[in-house]
Amino acid sequence: MLPQRMKKAITDNPKKLANLIDLVNLPSTLRDFVGQSQISRLGCFMHVWSYIKTNNLQDSNNKNVVNCDEKLRSILLGKPQVELTELPALIKLHFPKEPK
Amino acid sequence: MGKIPPSFRSAIANIRNPSSSSSHILPPQTQPHHFPRKKPSNSPTKSKKPQKPEPTTPPPSLFKSPNLSDAKTLFDSILKSYQPSSLDFRFHNNLLHSYASISSLQDSTAFLRHIINSSRNSFSPDHSTFHILLSQACKSNDLSSLAPVHQVLNLMVSSGVSPDKATTDVAVRSLCSQGRLEEAVELVKEMSAKHNSVPDTYTLNFLVKNLCKCRTLSTVYSFMDEMRSRFGVKPDLVTYTILIDNVCNTKNLREAMRLVSTLNEEGFKPDCFLYNTIMKGFCMLSRGSEAIEVYNKMKDEGVEPDRITYNTLILGLSKSGRVKEAKKMLRVMADKGFLPDEVTYTTLMNGMCREGHALGALELLKEMEVKGCSPNACTYNTLLHGLFKARLLDKAFEFYEMMKSGGMKLETASYATMVRVLCREGRVADAYEVFDYAVESKSLTDVSAYTTLESTLKWLRKAKEQGLAV
Repeated sequence: MLPQRMKKAITDNPKKLANLIDLVNLPSTLRDFVGQSQISRLGCFMHVWSYIKTNNLQDSNNKNVVNCDEKLRSILLGKPQVELTELPALIKLHFPKEPK
Repeated sequence: MGKIPPSFRSAIANIRNPSSSSSHILPPQTQPHHFPRKKPSNSPTKSKKPQKPEPTTPPPSLFKSPNLSDAKTLFDSILKSYQPSSLDFRFHNNLLHSYASISSLQDSTAFLRHIINSSRNSFSPDHSTFHILLSQACKSNDLSSLAPVHQVLNLMVSSGVSPDKATTDVAVRSLCSQGRLEEAVELVKEMSAKHNSVPDTYTLNFLVKNLCKCRTLSTVYSFMDEMRSRFGVKPDLVTYTILIDNVCNTKNLREAMRLVSTLNEEGFKPDCFLYNTIMKGFCMLSRGSEAIEVYNKMKDEGVEPDRITYNTLILGLSKSGRVKEAKKMLRVMADKGFLPDEVTYTTLMNGMCREGHALGALELLKEMEVKGCSPNACTYNTLLHGLFKARLLDKAFEFYEMMKSGGMKLETASYATMVRVLCREGRVADAYEVFDYAVESKSLTDVSAYTTLESTLKWLRKAKEQGLAV
């Protein structure tokens, strides 16, 4: 089952969990959007998703698609439309792996 | 065992007061000793003296500072305001106990000396007095050695009170509560050898249970062997049940069966509880037929099955895909006069959902509610899981909304299944909505809810690239 495997993956690999919840200094584009200078990847995702919900940016015909407004476009590679499926991956782009 | 019914307590207190110095009336009271902390709360109700409720009721707040001289002054002032003859020995114990809870062992020992000296006639320390000190010694900060414990034991012996079974028990339990298992074992051996106070089966079982939790089986066996050969403490049925439960949980069923045969050789007859434990062991490994065998053996031996037996059996049959027989068992159970409870129904629903027969499980929910058995969160989660697994999306979503309006929490497994199925069916927005609910209702931590969602979406993108999903 998936959850067990995931749990194991997390306990086996604390780094994965760390890169999800550790606070990161943000680049300027993201800082303007979030309004904070530091945020975790999880926090950033939550922020973007709640932004989408509060501004009703989901396409009314196809809920799986988000019509980006000016602000959102600035952080999501300038795409006019984004699928919900790729949202986590797009946000992850702002959180590159730290070079050793 | 040894518990005095509340109605007798005042009677006993009456008998005991005149001869408060004789410590031999104590044994009937030995069991409560196991939890010496309870004493102060119990005793005020037991003490039948209406004229002095003040000093006994507020003991927790009586001593404000761990300072010894303050405590002595306070004790003296109490003593002055009451006639010594009106105070029974439990009063002193209460005082000592409440002082011990805030002071160091040395101070409380000194305080005890002070009590003895200043009220020479009315008070002589007995087992329970020393047990207070003993449990304090076991919990003292000095975690490296047993020196404080020995100190108390020596004091006890020199005061003419010899340690008994209850003493051993108090010490063992206090040590174990601090996680000092090694010391507890050491102390038991030592006390049996030195003070001739051999632990009773309660103490033995308590130790065995704790040893099972964090030591290897061979350690437990060697401890038991030593207890038996050196001190003649024999394991009883409960000990074997603990051991069997433990080996079953580690999936070592061969050892469990060996234990059962030893048990028979020793002349014990397994009871219902033990059979249930063995059955549970088989069920956990999805070995339904063996569970049935145990059930049959149980009937042959004339042991009456109880509700747990049937619940376990239904679990075993459901897990090994024999739902039909499980349903039959439900009927057998009802015939025997056991009303199926929510566990029974949930287990059976689980079995049906495993077979993909989620609608049948939903029917069962209705039947259950008609019979006046209220489903719990686990029941709903099982059904939710089943409905999504069977891809009955409309029904499943309806059910989900119902759970949501009831504010029920989602379990990890059902949440993951929901997200996966919804994504697969191309309803990513709905999956996000479920994610929101899981976070909002605090069913899962944000992290695990998000990791599930993220990895599912990642998997979905890969599948799309390979043209496997919509």
